[in-house]
Amino acid sequence: MSDKILLTVGLASAAFLVRNLYQMFMVLPDEAAQGAIYRIMYFHIPSWFSCFTCFFASGLASGYAIWKKNFRGDSLAVAATEVGLAFTAIGLATGMIWAKIIWGIWWTWDARLTWAFITALIYAGYLMMRSMIDDPGERMRVTGVLSIFAFTSVVITYKAIDWWRTQHPGAILSFRTGGGNTDPAMEAMIYQNWFALLLLTVVLVAVRFRMEESRREIEGLRRAVYAG
Amino acid sequence: MLRQAWLVCVKDVRMEFRGKEALNAALAFALVVLILFSFAFDPTSEQIREITGGLLWILFAFSGVLLVNRSFAREQSNDCLDILIASRVPASALLLGKAMANLVFILTVEAVCLPVFSLLYNINLFLLPQWLLLVCLLTSWAISLLGTVFAAMTVNLRLRELMLPVIVYPMIIPALAGAMQLTNVVALGKPPEGDDLIWVRLLVGFDIIFTALALGLMDTILVD
Amino acid sequence: MDQRNFTYMFYGFAAAWLILALYVVSLVARGRKLSEQVETLKRTIKQEKA
Repeated sequence: MSDKILLTVGLASAAFLVRNLYQMFMVLPDEAAQGAIYRIMYFHIPSWFSCFTCFFASGLASGYAIWKKNFRGDSLAVAATEVGLAFTAIGLATGMIWAKIIWGIWWTWDARLTWAFITALIYAGYLMMRSMIDDPGERMRVTGVLSIFAFTSVVITYKAIDWWRTQHPGAILSFRTGGGNTDPAMEAMIYQNWFALLLLTVVLVAVRFRMEESRREIEGLRRAVYAG
Repeated sequence: MLRQAWLVCVKDVRMEFRGKEALNAALAFALVVLILFSFAFDPTSEQIREITGGLLWILFAFSGVLLVNRSFAREQSNDCLDILIASRVPASALLLGKAMANLVFILTVEAVCLPVFSLLYNINLFLLPQWLLLVCLLTSWAISLLGTVFAAMTVNLRLRELMLPVIVYPMIIPALAGAMQLTNVVALGKPPEGDDLIWVRLLVGFDIIFTALALGLMDTILVD
Repeated sequence: MDQRNFTYMFYGFAAAWLILALYVVSLVARGRKLSEQVETLKRTIKQEKA
């Protein structure tokens, strides 16, 4: 993507995020049971959705990279994974702060939280593994397979609230509950902020993707220089 | 393919039972940890019933990774791995064979450790032998399969011994969690039912999904 | 409780933005390092040719 498009998307995302902040604080009221703190959900849920999207994209890109032996797919996979991990960090941090008020504790070992943590560990292992393999082809194949394997953990995290009784709240969005749980205006806000964060995600992934491409180029050039 | 996998498995098992390098190390490690447990908590208290499954499966996961680590490293001397890859055995059969061999090793460790644990800590684990066997088989397959896949991935790394556990443990946590729960239930002498059955399903699903994924992707890891 | 509720909401938003900001900073820093490496490589290649 060209610089101009990226800049436009980035600015659109920033504008949308600012508009969302205004809506969250000035227009939407406090939630009946939780008070002001519920607004964290406007970041918590969209962050996790963006994170899952990133990891899904990473798995797809890895599959494509392996199938076509395409290094651009590999670069996209690592870019998406890294941005996904940033969103994982946001999801965990916001969730913990929310939990401190609502549950009185920062962390509990229920299925949802535990699996979110495991997922973060696995993808962190993915990044670690990349830094240890020198041969680009081997790196693409090995970490690509790892990324595909790792996605199962994302699925478990997503479904954990259905499979186990968790302290983490169950589904609130109407596409999973059939509606009636959440005020439509509040639910709409979650999607709007997710959209804004997704725009941001696209920009971040694109920037990271370019860096990975030039890093690989440097690797190749170095090899050429030292060989010749 | 199954015949070739069987050949690889028999070869690995024969090699290991002749030398017994990894197996002896893993067994010794497991027994030492079994004794160490007695210092971590009061071994005579009733509490231990509640953590039996956790202790045992942490133990088996650790010694399992020790065993699995050798699986491909064993082939590195004399370039055996390259020859295996170049041979007519497909990579998926190679994986299957090695995973089966590792399953045999892990089950051997379990066969030694479970009675010893029962004796030392005065907990009869064998009240429901068929359930215990099922849990052991399903979970050990999960450990050996994922372990073998990741051992193949990390075989060329500088920090192989360090990197393998970092990747394997988080991936097998679902299986381990299930095994721990079920072992606790089985140790109490009641068959798993109700909420515990989800763990059985989780174990079975875990095995099926990862076996399929591994067989499909193994060619990518080893060949070309 | 209300005051604390409000403060923690603020912490939550601050944490989210802070993590994003940190990630962007790290991206920029790494990007700069990469372009330095490119420069060095270019110089090396020029010397090799000369």
